[in-house]
Amino acid sequence: MRAPELALKYRALLGQRWPALSRNLVVGLTLALVTLPQAVAFSVTLAGVPPHFGIYAAIWGVFFCSLLNPSRVFHGGPNTAMSASIGVTLLPTAPPFGAEYMGLALTLGLMAGLIQLMFYLIRPLGRILDLISEPVINGMICGIGLILIFRSLTTFAGLPLNTEVEWPLWIAWQSFLAVLEVGNLHAIQIGLITLLTCVVVQQFDPLRNWAILIGIAAGTLYSQHLNATVGLQNTLIEQIGNLSSIGLVFPSLPLFSQESMPDVIAILPGAVTLALLGLFQTVAAMRRMSRKAGGFTDSRKAIFSDAVSNCLLPFLSSLPTCASFNRMWLVHKLGIHSRIAIASSALWLLLLVLFFAKAIAVIPMPAMAGIIMLLGANMINWEDIKPHLKSRHEATVFVASFLSVLFLDLFEAVLVGSALAVAYSKWQQAHPDISLRGDVLKIRGNLYYGSLPIIESIYHSALAKGQDVIIDFSECYYIDQEGIRWLSGLKARRQAAFVDRRTGRDRRDDEAAETPGSDERRGQSRRGRKQDRRRRSDI
Amino acid sequence: MNTFSEKVVKILAVALAGGGLYLLAAYEHGQRESIRRADVVLTPACIEKLARYGLESGEYYQSPYVLQRTGAKLATRGYADDDIRAIKRGCNIIDDTQGKLASDPDRERWNTRRFIRGTHTACRHCHQSVGDKQDAAGNRLVGSLNLGASWTMADMYDRFTGLLLPFELRQMQCYINSSNGYKPNIADDVIRDVTSYSRFLSVALDMKIANRYDEQGIDEIPASATPKQGDDYVRGEAIYRQKCESCHGPQAFGRVDPDGRLVAPAIAGPNAWNMQSRNYFYYVSTILPGFICRNMPLGQENTLPNQECRDIAYYLSNLPRPAGDRQGPIIALRQQVLMKVLPPLLRATGSARGKAAAAKSDSGE
Repeated sequence: MRAPELALKYRALLGQRWPALSRNLVVGLTLALVTLPQAVAFSVTLAGVPPHFGIYAAIWGVFFCSLLNPSRVFHGGPNTAMSASIGVTLLPTAPPFGAEYMGLALTLGLMAGLIQLMFYLIRPLGRILDLISEPVINGMICGIGLILIFRSLTTFAGLPLNTEVEWPLWIAWQSFLAVLEVGNLHAIQIGLITLLTCVVVQQFDPLRNWAILIGIAAGTLYSQHLNATVGLQNTLIEQIGNLSSIGLVFPSLPLFSQESMPDVIAILPGAVTLALLGLFQTVAAMRRMSRKAGGFTDSRKAIFSDAVSNCLLPFLSSLPTCASFNRMWLVHKLGIHSRIAIASSALWLLLLVLFFAKAIAVIPMPAMAGIIMLLGANMINWEDIKPHLKSRHEATVFVASFLSVLFLDLFEAVLVGSALAVAYSKWQQAHPDISLRGDVLKIRGNLYYGSLPIIESIYHSALAKGQDVIIDFSECYYIDQEGIRWLSGLKARRQAAFVDRRTGRDRRDDEAAETPGSDERRGQSRRGRKQDRRRRSDI
Repeated sequence: MNTFSEKVVKILAVALAGGGLYLLAAYEHGQRESIRRADVVLTPACIEKLARYGLESGEYYQSPYVLQRTGAKLATRGYADDDIRAIKRGCNIIDDTQGKLASDPDRERWNTRRFIRGTHTACRHCHQSVGDKQDAAGNRLVGSLNLGASWTMADMYDRFTGLLLPFELRQMQCYINSSNGYKPNIADDVIRDVTSYSRFLSVALDMKIANRYDEQGIDEIPASATPKQGDDYVRGEAIYRQKCESCHGPQAFGRVDPDGRLVAPAIAGPNAWNMQSRNYFYYVSTILPGFICRNMPLGQENTLPNQECRDIAYYLSNLPRPAGDRQGPIIALRQQVLMKVLPPLLRATGSARGKAAAAKSDSGE
């Protein structure tokens, strides 16, 4: 094929794919612009390292994850909780921003990556992460949404961030009062213009994906207008600032010298926390957002992607990566579920910091804060909350997770919510529906060590009345070894007869033989049949 | 799919909420500006202090204190009316943090009560004599937490956290831990005015940046500055009963007159500093002993031996007090329960033990 023909063919192919590709690129650019201020803020104010750590996490962290994680909604990069955890862990060891501190930050990230790799290699460890239920995740998402709004309040009003850890709700209230009393009115104007522009543009479907970019552009233009008319020395608007010193890569080595060993050992518990913090968020966010997008990705693949990325990133002067709820929510809201969009966000950010550092430098921080507040508000979605309020158990788990994010922190919220969810499910299992009608004791639920005392008490009260008891297992779907031993004891003492209506036969005559064909007719699953056979043979 | 009217309602709701927020902020800013321009009514201690240092508006400022002490006529840049008002408000905040002497406490003290949990705390309890403690001859005292010296020596790396700690952030730590409260925003007038007053003190006392002043901070007392007997809770309690109880009360919960006037602040219990304050012996063991030795009992400063100061500090830090803000809700709850449960128990059991210990101490055993 001649060169002109080949060019024509590729042009035609590009023409065909261009609409989809362009949508991906717009979403990528939006993501890059939203990630940029978060990357700078997380590294400087939370982790205590220079801004390029966060920016490289937003470039290489996102890029590695998009290559390794097959999920179409997964967006990695710098994370609030992980950055804060790095700051808290390293604070007692060295002064922030110093060479030793940065070296230890890289060591901490590498150790967390290796621990995450262990979670991938030891399968049962990884399965523990699957115990996070949907009400826990949704409770966390709503909590994070509110926290994002609270955290952005001070930047929205041009005030310095509160960098010390305090109870978030008190901080939020004090910050709100500070916004009213001493906030920079120019900054509030810029933030409001950005916010309102975004909301207005979002209402026009063809422009929906451009809303955030247009909002930022409007805020930046207004800020430049103020600077030109009033003067930057009077407006005192904080801008993203000069990023021209950031290059393609910035190789680095974690600190593992002999002198630093005591510090490395001291931060090991912090590395475990960091690893778990990342994995819990990654698994929870990916599962939730994949379901919303109508897909599924094995959580082991996410663990693998996080672990490998976090083992590589410390050699590129980067903070560790994990899933970002708010940016994944943005991907979902923009309606593009594609790894191309996510990978392009990393490349866009790289291009922006390499070639457009001067243009980025003038983007006002209040405009970015306005966008983050909008993202936070979008994360609190009544349609997602409503189903959890129909069941008391789910509502309790949801509310507990939500409040734990506000009053404790993200990691503790996962623990509290998951513990409650597991406790509820165990409680339900331990309280089977038992009815005694005539001489038939019917068990609906599980017969295991937890539910046995309740079943025994009803059984013995029936015996005490002098009844012959028939135990009906028709709706009993699990019996553990302790239950089997109890039933065997009854059988041996001839204290009860058993019936399983699924077989269609009365089992008081002690005939346990069953043909495979009858099982198939009942249409039971293979697992159910296996359990059934084991139960009968044991009894 | 949203209908057109739903979209309009959404835009209007955001516009109204944003516009309302902006108007409220503009109103509050107007109020603040009117307070900044209003005349300041000084507390008696501030009238005396600022008159002594000759605070007046003008092109140049000359400190009468420096003139009297050294004979040098040092003229520095003077103060505008706005500066004078800020310095006066700062002095008032140090002397009367909770605004008990003000006709409108929240307006005149920039809502300081909002940032403090208890009802006792005032800056002057630690920064005595409105942040500038001197003896009768006008000598500044070692370890007296002089605010002028603190401003001069601020912006240094903090040796506890390793952070570069500006004077404003140091004030915020006072609000969080020493006052067991919440930190104001760094741009708040309450922080700016105290900085103005502290900076004025440094000029009035002719303090220069890059110098080290012994009156800054606390003259800390480590265990190595004692006969190394070890810190003793029982001994500390006995000395507390002898030297401190008459003012601070039997449980160190402070003493308030029947008319509500604070006689002595709480040094334990809900109105005291919290467990993350550097005054807390288990957190930093050298600061509270240093404060006690150099500043207590009032009028008898520097009379207690180092070991006794450490014993008292050790005893006080075993009494219940609020948890720090970074210790989480569980420890906070535990401390709240302890503050409710322990006082009656201590009342029942502690008094007899305290009297016995005091008697033992008196008899020289």
